[in-house]
Amino acid sequence: MSDSDLIEQLKTLLGEKILEIANPAVRRIFFRVEPAHLLDTVKALKESLDFSHVATISGVDLGESFEILYHFAKPHAQLNVRTQIPKSNPHVESICPVIPGAIFYERELQDMFGLVVDHIPDPRPLITPDDWPAGNYPLRKDWKFERPPEKIPGGKP
Amino acid sequence: MKFTVPIGPQHPALKEPISLRMTLEGEIIRDADIRLGYNHRGIEKLAEERTWIQNIYLTERICGICSHSHSTCYTQGVEKLMEVEPPRRGVYLRYLVAELERVHSHLLWLGVAGHEAGFDTFFMYTWRDREVVMDILEIISGNRVHYAINTLGGVRRDIDELQKKKILDSLDLLRKRSEYYFKIGANEPSFVARIAGVGYLSKEDALALCAVGPTARASDIPFDVRKDDPYGMYAEVPFEVCTATTCDVLGRVVVRVKELMQSYNIIEYLLKNLPDGPVAVRAPRRAKPNEVVSRYEAPRGENIHYIKSNGTDKPERLKVRAPTLANYPATIVMLKNGYIADIPLIFAAIDPCICCAERTVALVNGRSGEEKILTMSYLRRLAQERWKKTPPKKDVPWPF
Repeated sequence: MSDSDLIEQLKTLLGEKILEIANPAVRRIFFRVEPAHLLDTVKALKESLDFSHVATISGVDLGESFEILYHFAKPHAQLNVRTQIPKSNPHVESICPVIPGAIFYERELQDMFGLVVDHIPDPRPLITPDDWPAGNYPLRKDWKFERPPEKIPGGKP
Repeated sequence: MKFTVPIGPQHPALKEPISLRMTLEGEIIRDADIRLGYNHRGIEKLAEERTWIQNIYLTERICGICSHSHSTCYTQGVEKLMEVEPPRRGVYLRYLVAELERVHSHLLWLGVAGHEAGFDTFFMYTWRDREVVMDILEIISGNRVHYAINTLGGVRRDIDELQKKKILDSLDLLRKRSEYYFKIGANEPSFVARIAGVGYLSKEDALALCAVGPTARASDIPFDVRKDDPYGMYAEVPFEVCTATTCDVLGRVVVRVKELMQSYNIIEYLLKNLPDGPVAVRAPRRAKPNEVVSRYEAPRGENIHYIKSNGTDKPERLKVRAPTLANYPATIVMLKNGYIADIPLIFAAIDPCICCAERTVALVNGRSGEEKILTMSYLRRLAQERWKKTPPKKDVPWPF
């Protein structure tokens, strides 16, 4: 199936939900949906077009908002669904009810960007340590690592 | 009564420190829980502060076994961002190293599988052969582990006729030895019986949990990026996607053995059809604002990098997904309803990296919270005793 066929199928399947669609390279399709339509889109992609493999979920800090990309793959096609959520109210719906294998990527997103994945089956932190200070989200652009001053036990104060 | 056994964070069966909590009922695992982050190095954050060239060497250090796969995945993505086309000889050499790395990784893994199943002869044979591949890699790149052969726009070293001949000779030796060892495997029914039926992962589960690589292919999902999304020169190289239908550790051995043979063929094809010309072209220092999704079939499965550029000499965002992370949800399913004695074998079946150190495992009594320390060698002895108690399955066929 060529890319143009797939784009036609996507347009008939999702219609108005697709906001911007681009095909910058062979077998690479990017399109944007509203966060409210995300779960429906993923469900439709899985049921009608057999995109059941989520390769990963990437988050990007755009300054005022977060961009989240869901990278889907199937033989001879690769599809990237993007959505944008505001930084002031960072909520996105979990896709785990449709694709259970996405759970680790969503937990990673929560740890690294501090956004909230609603209805996630398991919201515990995955990557950050148990004693990680609250409100520190390493992959946000305004987060900088400051090494705490070294304390030598028994040394000079 | 239920016990919870923590495996890790430091554990010889895993390269990355990871904590697994097993809930046991007798000897049977009823639930497994996973916790990552013990060795989170912040490479994605660090990459945003390095230049495009510096990041090649940073991504190479993501993994110690498949170091070439991350740097290649990154480099081929950045070349697309910079609109640089590497010369054909450079491309052939880059993926020649990639296939040699697959051979070394699979030989390592086969040895580990033999070791965990109590077949140490197999382990010593395959690891001896692995040295031959490491020597070939040293001939090409000068290094045994981090080859540092990639650069933006091609590769950093060329090979001459003498090196080519040496590699082809070593390849013949490897192929002959591999075939002989797999015959040994066929004549060792206890080895086949030990790994058959262990760590079952159905095709439906593998699909739903987004498993990748040999783990998915052993569950009869013909998912191979080299075929599905050909990069480099894979569209012109003849090879087959190897699958197995048994969905267990035996299937994962079969897939890797078949892939070894395919890799030998690919290496021979690449060397015999090596084009003439330069190995690299100059790449610019900056990349226009754009984004790219780069995919690569690493020895352990699909490797995916999402790279976004912002017009400077540094990336805006580099997202790395290594194949092992994709296989963790499937591992939980494999472990469930298995025996505690099979844990090392099932672990080893998804991840070919084992540090051979002797570490400890604490056993916590679910009621009193009392801890008992078990060594890995004790777990292995348990595994071997369990095998001795079970009569060998006489009817399991060796698939070659």
